[in-house]
Amino acid sequence: MVKALAFTMEPGLVAELASHTRRLAGEAVLVAPKEAASKAPAGVYTKAYILEAGDPAAFAAALEKVYNEYKPDIVLTIASKNNTTAAALLAAKLRLPMLTEALEPRIEGSTLTAKRRVLGGRAEASYRAQLPAVLSLARGAAEPLQEAGGVEAQPLEAPQPRVTLLESKEKVREAVNLEEAEIVVGVGRGFRSREDLKLAEELAQLLGGVVGASRPIVADYGWLSEDRWIGISGKKIRPKLYIAIGISGAPQHMAAAMDSKIIVAVNKDKNAPIFQYADYGVVADLYQFLPVLIKKLRERLNR
Amino acid sequence: MPLNIAVLAKASLDPNMIRTRGDSLVDIEAMPLALSEYDKNAVEAAVQAKEKHGGKVYVLSVLTWPPAARRVKELEQVMREALAMGADEAHVVVDEALIPGDPLATAEAFAALIRKLGQVDLVVAGEASMDMISSQVAARVAALLDLPFIGFARSLEIGDGRVRAVRDLEDRLETVEAPLPAVVSVTGEANKPRIPTLIQVRRAFRKPINRYSLADLGLEPPAKPELGEIRVLTVSRKNIILEGDNLEEIAEKLIDALIKEGVIKA
Ligand SMILES: Cc1cc2nc3c(=O)[nH]c(=O)nc-3n(C[C@H](O)[C@H](O)[C@H](O)COP(=O)(O)OP(=O)(O)OC[C@H]3O[C@@H](n4cnc5c(N)ncnc54)[C@H](O)[C@@H]3O)c2cc1C
Repeated sequence: MVKALAFTMEPGLVAELASHTRRLAGEAVLVAPKEAASKAPAGVYTKAYILEAGDPAAFAAALEKVYNEYKPDIVLTIASKNNTTAAALLAAKLRLPMLTEALEPRIEGSTLTAKRRVLGGRAEASYRAQLPAVLSLARGAAEPLQEAGGVEAQPLEAPQPRVTLLESKEKVREAVNLEEAEIVVGVGRGFRSREDLKLAEELAQLLGGVVGASRPIVADYGWLSEDRWIGISGKKIRPKLYIAIGISGAPQHMAAAMDSKIIVAVNKDKNAPIFQYADYGVVADLYQFLPVLIKKLRERLNR
Repeated sequence: MPLNIAVLAKASLDPNMIRTRGDSLVDIEAMPLALSEYDKNAVEAAVQAKEKHGGKVYVLSVLTWPPAARRVKELEQVMREALAMGADEAHVVVDEALIPGDPLATAEAFAALIRKLGQVDLVVAGEASMDMISSQVAARVAALLDLPFIGFARSLEIGDGRVRAVRDLEDRLETVEAPLPAVVSVTGEANKPRIPTLIQVRRAFRKPINRYSLADLGLEPPAKPELGEIRVLTVSRKNIILEGDNLEEIAEKLIDALIKEGVIKA
């Protein structure tokens, strides 16, 4: 029977973690902040430990103690940045193999197999490892398990962190749901200013779609909020129609748009890689083409 | 205070240059290696710190892709790029037992190499490599050397024997601080990597590249997970470039196509 040590620093990921843990393990304990540990489903865990999130290294040090006592076959978490960091720190201390953003994990005897997206998300690699091992599972791969809590929860002490927190600032959130949008208009570095994004917004509005963006537009320039970031480090989209404008078509961007039904690319460089990923390509300057497209759409759609 | 800074830089498979054999099997040996995108930000961060505080920048790399005999040249080219950006020396680990790479084995080689280099005040790496995207090696090196770790830093600043950084997490930005020596991984937003001038490129050829095997580092071949096949995920697309005498005509064609596909309604 497989024994698992499951943990998450992010309380919001606890239901997804429970779902994986139930499928992979016969017996398990959970380490998580109080609000998550108190909800640990009895059908999955025999015990829960309360550990406040704080710094990943301090969290990992406390996990190591539980590991050495419980001696699990596998350590499970869901891939958030902090969870992956804590998992890697723990794996190094214990000299264990670890797979980041693992998909389709399977355990047979003492062998673990799993897959991972690699090469900018454009390819999938198969792995085989001997237990014990650490898995940071790709987010969104399991239906969250909503089950009442009820296992005993015991507080755990983390050592004093060497990395001290001076300030924490929440990121701006918007009420957009890119992942569910049926039409997405993507903007990239081909746009020269935040002001100019109005062109894309007008097009999106006309089509009843949502504006999304490449990483630089969001993370470098801060022109749009992170809810609109398309890519392996942002959101995955699966619209009927994705119109990518002024985006070069980096694998890390396109991998997250692969499930789009139709992809349209507008780019002034006829050799831009985006055209390989597109159903329909328009080789043009977006500043000239978008006003024309918007005008024609208004005529045709009577809007 | 002059700083000794070690940068972890990977000669990565370039995901923009995927080559396949048969239908979808990735042909690793046919793909070129390049300095991993965000490791350039790590080199830049290290060089900026050196420019401000003085000291030395070592660029370190572990070869992770076969065939070793041929890849050594490519690895050296990648190191030259970091040296041209301003690193002073390169130290590379080449050993069949580390190929194909795995974060467990790679991190142990890096940790041993850093110990061998002696006094290192700061270790900088990119948030993830562009080929395997594991985000493990920097954290593992910190754990193995028992140093403080700051991951996903979108800015960093050094002073008074401390490093201060802004950690870019999913829902918040954390300003954090740690005493040196420490390990930091930087995001692609941390800075704008410089493009070396021709003179810098030429000068880089005179900088040393030292090579080590596992035995040189006093390490046993580590047990690592087995990397099986890598398959490219393909979706076939129509790849139609719309052409016309003017933009009006192209716009009309696009609208017609989208209506026909049933993705917009007239
Ligand atoms: C580990 C890792 C993770 C990453 N994660 C992501 C991610 O999640 N999402 C993401 O998007 N990227 C990600 N990236 C970055 C990615 O590699 C690219 O750097 C990025 O996607 C490029 O964005 P872009 O296409 O907007 O910009 P560029 O590559 O600069 O492309 C701009 C394009 O606009 C075109 N253009 C310029 N002017 C005009 C004009 N007037 N009219 C029409 N076209 C014009 C140009 O021809 C060019 O093709 C990641 C990279 C790494 C290494």
